[in-house]
Amino acid sequence: MKTAEQPDHTTTDHRTTMVRDLLTDYAGWLLGCGATCIRLEKNLKRIAAAYGQDVEITISPHHVHIYIVDRNDRTVFTSIATAKGATSFDTITRLSTLSWRIADTGIDIRRARRMFDIIVNDRPRHTWVVPPLVALANASFCRLFGGDIQAMAVVFMATLAGYNLKIWLTSMRADLRLTFLLCSFASAVIGASSYLFNLGDTPQIAIGTSILYLVPGVPFLNSFSDMLHRFYICSFGRLMDATVLTACLSIGLCAGMIVMGVGMF
Amino acid sequence: MDIDILSDAFFAALAAIGFSSISRLPLRAYPYCAAIAALGHSLRYLLMMRPVPGFHIFWASLVASFLIGLIAVMISSRTRTPAEAYFFPALLPMIPGMYAYRAFGALAVCVLNDNPDTFGYYFYQAASNGFVCMAVLIAMVTGATLPIFIFKKISFQATR
Repeated sequence: MKTAEQPDHTTTDHRTTMVRDLLTDYAGWLLGCGATCIRLEKNLKRIAAAYGQDVEITISPHHVHIYIVDRNDRTVFTSIATAKGATSFDTITRLSTLSWRIADTGIDIRRARRMFDIIVNDRPRHTWVVPPLVALANASFCRLFGGDIQAMAVVFMATLAGYNLKIWLTSMRADLRLTFLLCSFASAVIGASSYLFNLGDTPQIAIGTSILYLVPGVPFLNSFSDMLHRFYICSFGRLMDATVLTACLSIGLCAGMIVMGVGMF
Repeated sequence: MDIDILSDAFFAALAAIGFSSISRLPLRAYPYCAAIAALGHSLRYLLMMRPVPGFHIFWASLVASFLIGLIAVMISSRTRTPAEAYFFPALLPMIPGMYAYRAFGALAVCVLNDNPDTFGYYFYQAASNGFVCMAVLIAMVTGATLPIFIFKKISFQATR
């Protein structure tokens, strides 16, 4: 029977376990949402310090290894695969805010966990508006590269079709590289219609820009940001991921152009 | 010229909004992101104008992305949103996608061609476009990240 004077090891151990679980899940989600390594490290250390612990982390492209050191110098090793989800700056923002709330107000670990669960389980709303917005953005790209109005219209349609195909393939859990290849092929085939039907004066720009919505911009930028902050392993992994995806979309583009009988340059 | 710059700014803003929606930006950040992208892209456009100032795309991207990073850091603390949430989508319209496309396209032609002269020409195309693409990417990220280094306290306490 426990007395008031005796330290409640069960409760303490349970709390430590909860802190460890929160730190582990937090790391997996933050990295999976596309946060930079420096942000992940700072946020984790902030949360750990608020609960009287210290962390050392090793970040690889698909896993985070965390060494948690508690007040009694006990070290716990934990590892988690990054959450497989789309890039979400909204989630990164909310998770960063949560880390500050924990650090500044010292909220209870159970409440922190509840808040974390609410953030990561929050489904994105108004997803129907994303494909037309992406198509509009890619058509704007076309204009920025010197495309005319006909080329913009073709790029809009090619992107809309390709992006909807990407959503469908993702929902079917298709391999990401295959998804990029098929989507760029579909967009390139539609983009090549401007060349075949002599739509406007800039068909080459229409073909070239029809697949640019697939360029993995955030992984590229994250990779270089990690490199600047000396997280070389993760940086290299992200760069390779982005390069492989770019290669896949290029192969899809080339295949689309060959099928449609359009010259490359 | 004025219309060209305005048009460039407008379409850069549209592109930033569209690509922000893929990256699920917080709703409150969209207008700022569009404004930052418009400013950054039109500055790069201005700097690359021939004959004056006639900057190379590398230097123009470096200066423009530094401006983007600086504004993103300044805004981030007011709106309690990480600076990278602003500058990443704002930088996306500046990513040299056409260079990457040409580099990989030329590489594909190299692989499919066994004529030494043709191979040499397209290998040069692949290397040249690939190097410019990498250099511009590094310039963009360095330029946009520098303000985070300089104003570290503001940057990492933005969501506080």
